[in-house]
Amino acid sequence: MNALIRAARRPAAASVIALGAVALALAALGASPLAVAADLAAGACGNWIAFTDTLARATPLVFCGLAVAIAFHGALWNIGADGQLVVGALAAGALGPALSGWPHAPAIVAMLAAGAIGGALWGGLAGWLRARRNVNEVISTIMLNFIAAQLLSWAVHGPLMAPAGGFPASRKIAAAARLHLYFPPSRLNLAMAFAVVLACACQLGLFRTVAGFQLRALGRNRRASAFFGAPIARLTVGAMALSGALAGLGGAVQISAITHRLYETISPGWGYEAIAVALIARLSPLGVVPAALLFGALDNGSQAMQRADGISPELVYVVQALAILVLLACDAAAGGGWREMFYRGAPASAEEGDDA
Amino acid sequence: MLEAFAASTVAMATPILLAALGELLVERAGVINIGIEGAMLTGAFAAIAAAHAGGGALAAVAAAVAAAVAINALFALVVVNLAANQVVAGTAIDLLALGVTGVLYQRIFGATGRAFTVAPMPPIALGPLARIPLIGPALFDQSALVYLAFALVPAIAWTLGRGRFGLRLRAAGERPEAADALGLGVYRLRWIALLIAGALSGLGGAYLSLAYANTFVEGITAGRGYVALAVVIVGRWNAWGVAAAALMFGAAMALQFVLQVSAGALPYQLFLALPYLLTVVVLAFVGGQAAAPAALGEPYVRG
Amino acid sequence: MLETRSIVRRFGRTLALDRVDFRARPGEIHALIGENGAGKSTLVNILAGRLRADAGEVLLDGARLPAGSAARHPRRARIAAVYQSPMLFERMTWEENLALGGYRAGASPRELDAVAVRARTAAAQAGFALPPPRAIVADCSVAARVRLEIVRALSFDPRVLMLDEPTSLLAPAELEIFLAALRRLRAAGRIVVIVTHKLAEALAVADRITVMRRGRVVAELPAAHASAAELARMMIGALPEELRMPPPAGAETPAAAPALTLERATLARDGRRLLDEISLAVRPGEIVGVAGVDGNGQAELVELLAGIVRLDAGRVTPVPDAAHGAVAVIPQNRDRDGLVLEMTLWENLLLAAPVRARFIRRGLIRGRAAQSFCASLLDRFGIRAAAGPAASAAALSGGNRQRFAVARALAAAPRVIVAHDLCRGLDLAAAARVHRRIRDFAAAGGAVLLISTDLDELLECCGRLFVIARGRLIETAAADRDPARLGLLMAGAGA
Repeated sequence: MNALIRAARRPAAASVIALGAVALALAALGASPLAVAADLAAGACGNWIAFTDTLARATPLVFCGLAVAIAFHGALWNIGADGQLVVGALAAGALGPALSGWPHAPAIVAMLAAGAIGGALWGGLAGWLRARRNVNEVISTIMLNFIAAQLLSWAVHGPLMAPAGGFPASRKIAAAARLHLYFPPSRLNLAMAFAVVLACACQLGLFRTVAGFQLRALGRNRRASAFFGAPIARLTVGAMALSGALAGLGGAVQISAITHRLYETISPGWGYEAIAVALIARLSPLGVVPAALLFGALDNGSQAMQRADGISPELVYVVQALAILVLLACDAAAGGGWREMFYRGAPASAEEGDDA
Repeated sequence: MLEAFAASTVAMATPILLAALGELLVERAGVINIGIEGAMLTGAFAAIAAAHAGGGALAAVAAAVAAAVAINALFALVVVNLAANQVVAGTAIDLLALGVTGVLYQRIFGATGRAFTVAPMPPIALGPLARIPLIGPALFDQSALVYLAFALVPAIAWTLGRGRFGLRLRAAGERPEAADALGLGVYRLRWIALLIAGALSGLGGAYLSLAYANTFVEGITAGRGYVALAVVIVGRWNAWGVAAAALMFGAAMALQFVLQVSAGALPYQLFLALPYLLTVVVLAFVGGQAAAPAALGEPYVRG
Repeated sequence: MLETRSIVRRFGRTLALDRVDFRARPGEIHALIGENGAGKSTLVNILAGRLRADAGEVLLDGARLPAGSAARHPRRARIAAVYQSPMLFERMTWEENLALGGYRAGASPRELDAVAVRARTAAAQAGFALPPPRAIVADCSVAARVRLEIVRALSFDPRVLMLDEPTSLLAPAELEIFLAALRRLRAAGRIVVIVTHKLAEALAVADRITVMRRGRVVAELPAAHASAAELARMMIGALPEELRMPPPAGAETPAAAPALTLERATLARDGRRLLDEISLAVRPGEIVGVAGVDGNGQAELVELLAGIVRLDAGRVTPVPDAAHGAVAVIPQNRDRDGLVLEMTLWENLLLAAPVRARFIRRGLIRGRAAQSFCASLLDRFGIRAAAGPAASAAALSGGNRQRFAVARALAAAPRVIVAHDLCRGLDLAAAARVHRRIRDFAAAGGAVLLISTDLDELLECCGRLFVIARGRLIETAAADRDPARLGLLMAGAGA
């Protein structure tokens, strides 16, 4: 428990500093930071609906945050969780209407499988390009995000478009493929529980299995991994596919639980926010859950903030960006933590003295 | 038609080229700047905001440069002085730019986003050159930023290949600890490269909002900064290669306008996706990073 | 005169320099000797301004040098250094490398030509030849690179030239040219400081010798008054009796079938043969040595045996595959190739597939069991880690990292151990203990391939001995078993 508090201290401090900086900026813009904060908090968890909406809003962030955390552990800079989520949603959304007449459980499994496979293909492609063609995954995943967005746009304007309706969207998925909403009109559903289970699985996979161990070693020292016979290409493709599958699952549950159909703007940028989520969680899969809740609450509250104060919800991005930058700065100043995790080269140590 | 395509190619290539030339300097100094997209976006916004505040074209461009330089200075502080992970910091910079421009845009122009448009930057026709068939309008009847972008290509090629500053930049990107042992000041070199790159990204952003779109919309850069990153790789970290690659991507973007008209059967999304598809495919073939500076992306801490 | 007063420098809890007073006079070659870990390189790094001292001061000709000034303004500070690991820009031409030094030029053809002219003059004064025009450094021989580094250091017109273990990179024949160059530099009134752990070198070239031990200066004396035995005693104290070795088993070959065989193994890159038809067999119970100056194919040989690179022709039996674990490799650059510095020691131990296999149950890694095994290993090998198995590898000192790498290789219970610079960073007593472990391994039926630049180590440990030069491997005869003869072979005389 103490270790947990220690690990969470600096990310928490970074988030607070980021929020403080944004409050100052708001004051400079002539808005009252306190009023904005109150509106934000009310929007995030002021009542039952707001609270459950925060949960619903945080759910895709957990999936994508896990996706990013897994890939980053292998020093595979997957900036493409957004595209992977979109392709996963696309696969699930395309399959969904065809599941009418299926029993509920198999239909849900089929939806999730479609999402996972779609995302895995999208992420795995970037992994393959990295492993076999030496293409920088940062650039390929970003490009695949844009391609996925156009693919989705084409699908909802073209082959998947619902016949009636002036608004480009796909047909509704079959009732069997919809995740049950408890207490409507709240959007409370099982997806968050599923996400937490996945987080535990990821934690176990990263820290207890051989593949997870090899992936972490690969991310920290590629050459040494090669010297010890780690299957680098397989790990790269596998980790990127798994990462994509997790994001794709996020897309599938979004379709299954919330929207029930595809829209052009299915993702408000979860895949990008997930990078902040994973980093604030220090790439710990279990840490992703609270980090996603924090940012989900900010996201959700920002809608109310916009209505009440006329502040654009993009303010949340500023908070996230500043939190990352402040955390980087804190770690650099402390000379540990992240620096040790991401910094290649000989860390300050007794090395020189002994080797002199 | 071909003439329009050529002119459009050059126009589309210009912002990418400006950003990519800056990124070229930065990468030769050993830093990879994912935040380039954010710097362009910031520049595009600052230009429009300055124009809205009543500034002329020159003031708008200056505002774009200043804003993008400022955001790159923040990036430099984090990745150079604090030796943070460059991909992570760059992503944060993109997010920051997205947020700041979004919030300020709504603050300045209102939640409904009343479109504020500026008069397009006037093209400057270079006399009889502009009347050469086919290439005249493309090359010699463009705005000042286009001329600047293409004039920078030989200048940067010369600096990197032959100049003293370029040689030192390359040293910093090849082996920073050795460069520091020679007293070259790696931190300073990387800072200079990042500030220049900030100015160039700002110009690229200003071109987008002032000369191309004549307004600002959210996400106006549409990944052009990332395309610029790819352009540097495809151009093999060499200014002439970067120019050629930028023109290729410019052509891919210009193709949208030509093909959308002539090839009605194909979905327009295919053309919108074309530059990104092209990036992936070209990188898959160009692939290997053998030509990349040896210390690219490696955090370096001065001893 | 170059002088330090009470320099103190700590790394964590290690006191690397303890009130060091060092003095070198103009027109002298001053050897700074000491064992690995004595603090020599730390002192050089402080003099060169790459490290800050925690206390004390550096004076050059009576003037106090601000901390770090030599690194920031090498030209003004007039202290230049050539480091143990070459500091050249590999992908640039040699002229560009020199233009970045004291000549302060750009890279236009005209400027580079001017640089070349000045460099050739400086090199001629030292008695060096330089590479052909516009040669890329990566294509130059190791000896040519050392020469380039010295010429680049001279381009700053330094008052003080410091050379940190340059001779580990040079074959004996090249060493002669190099030592002659140092004498000429001395004649030009410069202060030359040469750092070495090899006594013979110090006695051969130096006028005065400063001996360091465990961060302190223990003696400063004229070379003429020093004997090798006396210096050795000052450097290391007496070597404990139990660590003295019996002489090597000689060159007879055990009869068993080889545990490792290379047949005409060839590896080419960009048209150059890095390994050129190498044939070699190592039998159980045997320690086979490969001598050679760094950069003659040793690194490629190790990468080949680790299974990282594939052969262009020839055959290796068993097929190299680190995941299989018949061959355990101890790489030369342990921080880059052998350790994951950011992971814990017990995790680093599990990098070795055969060790890892012992701690897996139902597909999951048993961390506790692995930690207790790691703890016992640390204990057995005398590896000092404050936090035990949970310490990160980065927290270990260099010597302890090396011992850890050896311990891990032995723990993997391989049939063959391939060690490149087995005792890198170890002092003599620690090295002797590691040698004993390796001998015990061989005595128990293990096969060992020892790749080293240290001829003393090879002559002491190995039965059969090979020399590698420009990617070719030559087996030495019994008559070749002396440093001078081996030196000739290392310079390529037999190839």
